[in-house]
Amino acid sequence: MSIERGSLEQLASAALCLGLALLPLVAGLPPWISLTIAAAAAVRLGLAVRGGDAPPRTLRLTVAAVAIGTLFLEFRTFNGLAAGTALLALLSGLKLLETRTRRDLRVLLLIVYFLSLAALLQGDSVWLLAYLLGLSWLASATLLRLAVTQDGPDRRASLCYCGRILLHALPLALVLWLFFPRLAEPLWRIDAAGRGAATGLGESMSPGDIDDLALSDEIAFRAHFIGPAPPRDQRYWRGPVLDDFDGRTWRRHAGASAAAPFRPSGTAYRYTLHLEASRYAWVLTLDWPVAWNLPQAALTDDDVLLESLPLSSPFDLTATSYSKITPLAPLGADQRRADTRLPAGQNVRTAAFAVQLRRRHPQALAYAAAVLNMFHTQPFFYTLTPPPLGADPVDRFLFATRSGFCGHYASAFAVLMRAAGIPARVVTGYFGGTFNRYADYWIVRQSDAHAWDEIWIDGRGWLRVDPTAAIAAARVDPNLRDARFAGDAFSLDLPRHTPWLADLRLRIDALRELWSERIVRYGQGSQQSLLAHLLIPNPNAEKLVSVLAAALALALAWLTWQVRRGLRPRRVDEPARAYARLCAKLAAVGLPRCAHEGAEAYAARVSGQRPDLSDRVGALCRQYSDLRYGGGRADAGTAAFTAAVRAFKPPKFPAS
Amino acid sequence: MNGFWRQAATSTFRGWSARRHGVDRLPITVERRRIYILPTGAGLALAAALAVMLITALNYGNNLGLAFAFLTASIALVAMHHCHRNLLQLRVDARAAADGFADSETVVEFTLHNDSPLDRYDIEIRCAGAAARCAVRAGARRQVAVALAARPRGILRIEQFELRTQFPFGWFRAWTYVQAPLVAYIAPAPRGGRRRPEVAGEFDSGTHSETRGDEEFSSLRAYAPGVPLKQMAWKVLARGGEPMVRSYTSSAAASAWLDWFALDALDPEARLSQLCLWVLTVDAARRRYGLRLPGLEIAPAAAGTAHRTACLRALAAFTVEAGP
Repeated sequence: MSIERGSLEQLASAALCLGLALLPLVAGLPPWISLTIAAAAAVRLGLAVRGGDAPPRTLRLTVAAVAIGTLFLEFRTFNGLAAGTALLALLSGLKLLETRTRRDLRVLLLIVYFLSLAALLQGDSVWLLAYLLGLSWLASATLLRLAVTQDGPDRRASLCYCGRILLHALPLALVLWLFFPRLAEPLWRIDAAGRGAATGLGESMSPGDIDDLALSDEIAFRAHFIGPAPPRDQRYWRGPVLDDFDGRTWRRHAGASAAAPFRPSGTAYRYTLHLEASRYAWVLTLDWPVAWNLPQAALTDDDVLLESLPLSSPFDLTATSYSKITPLAPLGADQRRADTRLPAGQNVRTAAFAVQLRRRHPQALAYAAAVLNMFHTQPFFYTLTPPPLGADPVDRFLFATRSGFCGHYASAFAVLMRAAGIPARVVTGYFGGTFNRYADYWIVRQSDAHAWDEIWIDGRGWLRVDPTAAIAAARVDPNLRDARFAGDAFSLDLPRHTPWLADLRLRIDALRELWSERIVRYGQGSQQSLLAHLLIPNPNAEKLVSVLAAALALALAWLTWQVRRGLRPRRVDEPARAYARLCAKLAAVGLPRCAHEGAEAYAARVSGQRPDLSDRVGALCRQYSDLRYGGGRADAGTAAFTAAVRAFKPPKFPAS
Repeated sequence: MNGFWRQAATSTFRGWSARRHGVDRLPITVERRRIYILPTGAGLALAAALAVMLITALNYGNNLGLAFAFLTASIALVAMHHCHRNLLQLRVDARAAADGFADSETVVEFTLHNDSPLDRYDIEIRCAGAAARCAVRAGARRQVAVALAARPRGILRIEQFELRTQFPFGWFRAWTYVQAPLVAYIAPAPRGGRRRPEVAGEFDSGTHSETRGDEEFSSLRAYAPGVPLKQMAWKVLARGGEPMVRSYTSSAAASAWLDWFALDALDPEARLSQLCLWVLTVDAARRRYGLRLPGLEIAPAAAGTAHRTACLRALAAFTVEAGP
């Protein structure tokens, strides 16, 4: 059908669409892929400008084989979002290189749609959607000019035409989007979600290595409390618990078993967490989770909520947590052993120090308090850029460098506890958060990530201890603009920059959250409440489909009417419009038509007042009367009259 | 094989559509009921892509991806309506513009009227294996000539032609069949080496100032209203006489016979070709001529479009009997 060569202009506009579609993806692509695509585009367009065709087949095949091979070496798979996107991007570049016919160009534009979808799978801002809508507009105009080669509309007319098509498509798309049933469970699980996987909490922690901390202001999650929010010192968001220490790195132990029975006490908090897709199976909760709305999830023996598989799509977790729990059974012997285990022959100075200190404080709690007191009174510094520690990192931290961030303190504290025989574990998660008073939710950012400890006290269970909080406020790095630190004198709910800017940020975030809640996380529940708003009793999936069918029928009827309407002759009365323009022109030179005057009478009066205009105005008015009352089809006359009126430029004053 | 089935399906469908709509009288306005529409290969490819996009977005629970997929699907749906509308209420007329000659193109001329305020793009007219494309602006009329490939001598009957469009994106093809019999006469290819017959009185032609091209002045008669002014005898009027009109008669004497039987050495098709060439040359020389074929005689008349067409059509329609 379209084996004809594509023209240079068609090639260039398809390449432009491709480039625009790749733009949102560039940040996530390996740089060599972007460079390969850019080079392919440059070569192909360069050849086309010289009137040349695609490069020879052998060259193309070699480039394709090398590029795809490299891609496989880099990702080890073509599966998953990151590798799939990279492959798609690479293929689009290779396709561009071999593009010759109009059919090839069509394939290229189809790839543009796929790339847009890939971009949306990795980002969810309103701007991205608007950008891709614009791109879709441009792509359809390109497609139009590709499909209609002879005598087609020019570039501008194509854009106008496609703009109208887009406007007609919007209501239909809205209906489909609102009522199309969503899946309760994905058809297949996706291994690693693109978003949120790169930043955030991991499953291990190595204080002492050169750590590039996630200092970003990127939002980790948002939380909404149903009822009162806990005070600041209770807002510990529990992530993975790390209890396996090899002298350098804390890790999450594998093969978690079910949690020991406990009795919740203290205050209950009910809240909703807007969670992103994750590559880990653990789910963030407030300390200590008791009830939740994930049927597959269960508490493990370290009191972490664990899903059977990582969340593959954003999820609203509604859960209840208590400020305290009391275990109903003592710590099992196995677990006690695991939580006091330290690698032999490492950090020996710390171990000796612990034993010595424990001798002075036989009470476990008193011992822990003594350690915290040491952090407070001795010159321990809080900084985000600690010196590297090398071998025996805990020894070096406690007795040499004495500066670090939450990870260093949590690690050192846990080692000191274990060395003294007290079961201890490191908990990672988030602390605090900023309240957005414009929309009643808490924003927790990546920079709120934190690490603290839990120690087991017989008869009381696991107690949370935050050693970082013990550091004297005076020894906190003054340049620190970081929310990790929990000192009293260092309230981090204070705006970071200037009050109005912080306020603005909150307002913007409230809007973003609105977008996220209403659009990005629109799901089955939202659909059912929408049906309830439409006064449909007992909404369920079947009713949703019926509503979809009805709404679709309405939208299609509207579309048909709208499209057919274009065929009807425009009702604009062309002669009347031109006559009105004539009257306006005369009014501008001080000769307005009176409401009662007919065309002839008006012309006569104008002739009297401005004899110099007499001939022209007389002729025009006569022409108008003829058109109006002459009868018959007068298309040509109308055109002539319109043109004559347009050409008529009465001078303001008669020429003397 | 694929092509075979496709052709079989198309011809079955054409037949069904012809029975459904009956014979049309030109000019015809394309109505909703006679427009058919199906996705093209590109449209099916888009549908497959959309299905993949939809499943991916659903699986990831990605609402923005879903929105994009639905928007693209809606654009396709709107494009389908626009494709259908592109033919709707188009008025079409057709005629065989001129008779053709075997071994050269025959032109069928179509006129498309677009009375709506919309431009119509990418209208393809398909007729007897040939096609032409054009756009018709809003409120405009457009003439399109479809040049049919060379055909053998005879009468070409076109039962049906097709209007087709893939506007706007080539995702859908809308078409309509028009059952309007068009007839084109394909005259034999003009060729041959025989000398054309002499025309009596050829030598003194072209000297009369009163001759009006094809006929000769003979007498004056009284003026009656309605007579073309060209025929007024102004000189008579100027001399103060009654208004008179010059009248013309044709004389059978000064005419050539283009005679089948004068060419008995040739085979029938070659004879027809030779006759055709003679018709054209004699007509171009503006002589009177007649045509004689077995069982058919066209009386001599002055050269002119009507006479030439009659002769050429006779040559086109002539059937050669088998055997000596």
